[in-house]
Amino acid sequence: MSFTLRTINVGRNVARVLFNKVCYPVSQTVAYKSDQSQAENRPTVAKLDPLQKSQLIDFGKYVSDCLPKYVQKVQITSGNELEVLVHPDGIIPALQFFKDHHSAQFVNLVDIAGMDVPSRPNRFEIIYNLLSLRYNSRIRVKTYTDELTPIDSACEVFKAANWYEREIWDMYGVFFANHPDLRRILTDYGFEGHPFRKDFPLSGYVELRYDDEQKRVVVEPLELAQEFRRFELSAPWEQFPNFRGNPVEEVTTADPKKE
Amino acid sequence: MGLIKKTTGLMGLAVNPNPHHTLGALYGKIIRTLQKMPEESVYRKYTEQIVRERAAVLQQTKDSFEIEQKINCGQAEELIIQAENELNLARKMLNWKPWEPLVAKPPKGQWDWPPSKA
Repeated sequence: MSFTLRTINVGRNVARVLFNKVCYPVSQTVAYKSDQSQAENRPTVAKLDPLQKSQLIDFGKYVSDCLPKYVQKVQITSGNELEVLVHPDGIIPALQFFKDHHSAQFVNLVDIAGMDVPSRPNRFEIIYNLLSLRYNSRIRVKTYTDELTPIDSACEVFKAANWYEREIWDMYGVFFANHPDLRRILTDYGFEGHPFRKDFPLSGYVELRYDDEQKRVVVEPLELAQEFRRFELSAPWEQFPNFRGNPVEEVTTADPKKE
Repeated sequence: MGLIKKTTGLMGLAVNPNPHHTLGALYGKIIRTLQKMPEESVYRKYTEQIVRERAAVLQQTKDSFEIEQKINCGQAEELIIQAENELNLARKMLNWKPWEPLVAKPPKGQWDWPPSKA
């Protein structure tokens, strides 16, 4: 008796497992979709603080009201990251405002980053990450430029900008006007080109080797053993799936004159 | 108060013997600079509001500890730095004129993310 019972039980378990297997993905996607509107409760994922977010939105409106001449757009990305998109002429006024204004006090320049999107009319984006210790908040200021247009150096506002701007000059070839000492910083002596540009080949243009006869390192044009082949580099997958379910939210201003 | 403050506890920031006087002078200067801006400037409106609030606290009391408590934005010496920064900013803003309309709209697709394929 007991044997048959057990087999029945096992059979039931198998059936349950099968049923679960069939059902599981469906229930999971449903849970995931509802997750995005509800509060995040997965233990390993950062929680969104609605109070902090509303404060950031208010501050975004405040900034675009105070600097209507330069702020093109204010947006919230990834739930609680405030981004202020600024016209390149206004980058110094905007940074100075964030640093010196009483209710901003973003006195720390955490980083300056560059980005290259060749399909855009102004292919380079310059991204300034600021931190306010006084109000415990962070902000991102973005602006744009192309290969030839210089952008004003932030060195006069933030001393920390010096090396970050040299990095961007080195990697992307964005020229910073009024920079005290604009030299390459990361690449080797005598390096030519800007390696983070999308049109810079992965293998580079030259290769270095030690030459035994000349007793020194020589630089030679790159020779690839393989004949030139056209690689199909476009991936079949979606490139930015995270932005499908979590789109950028624009902070709209209450000011009717701007619309 | 009775106690003499010996240090701010912050590197490179010396104790100011008379923060009430310094702050009052700075807030006066900021207000005078702001008054050169046009009335409808939002920057002027908000900054004037902040500075007048702080100046009102200065009017109420001369004790720097009480000033710090009421303004609630750090020590008196830090308040002085903030006021100096604001004054510096306000003077630059007179040249930049940020209350004017937008200089130029972004080119189409400039701020789109993910970027459209070329």
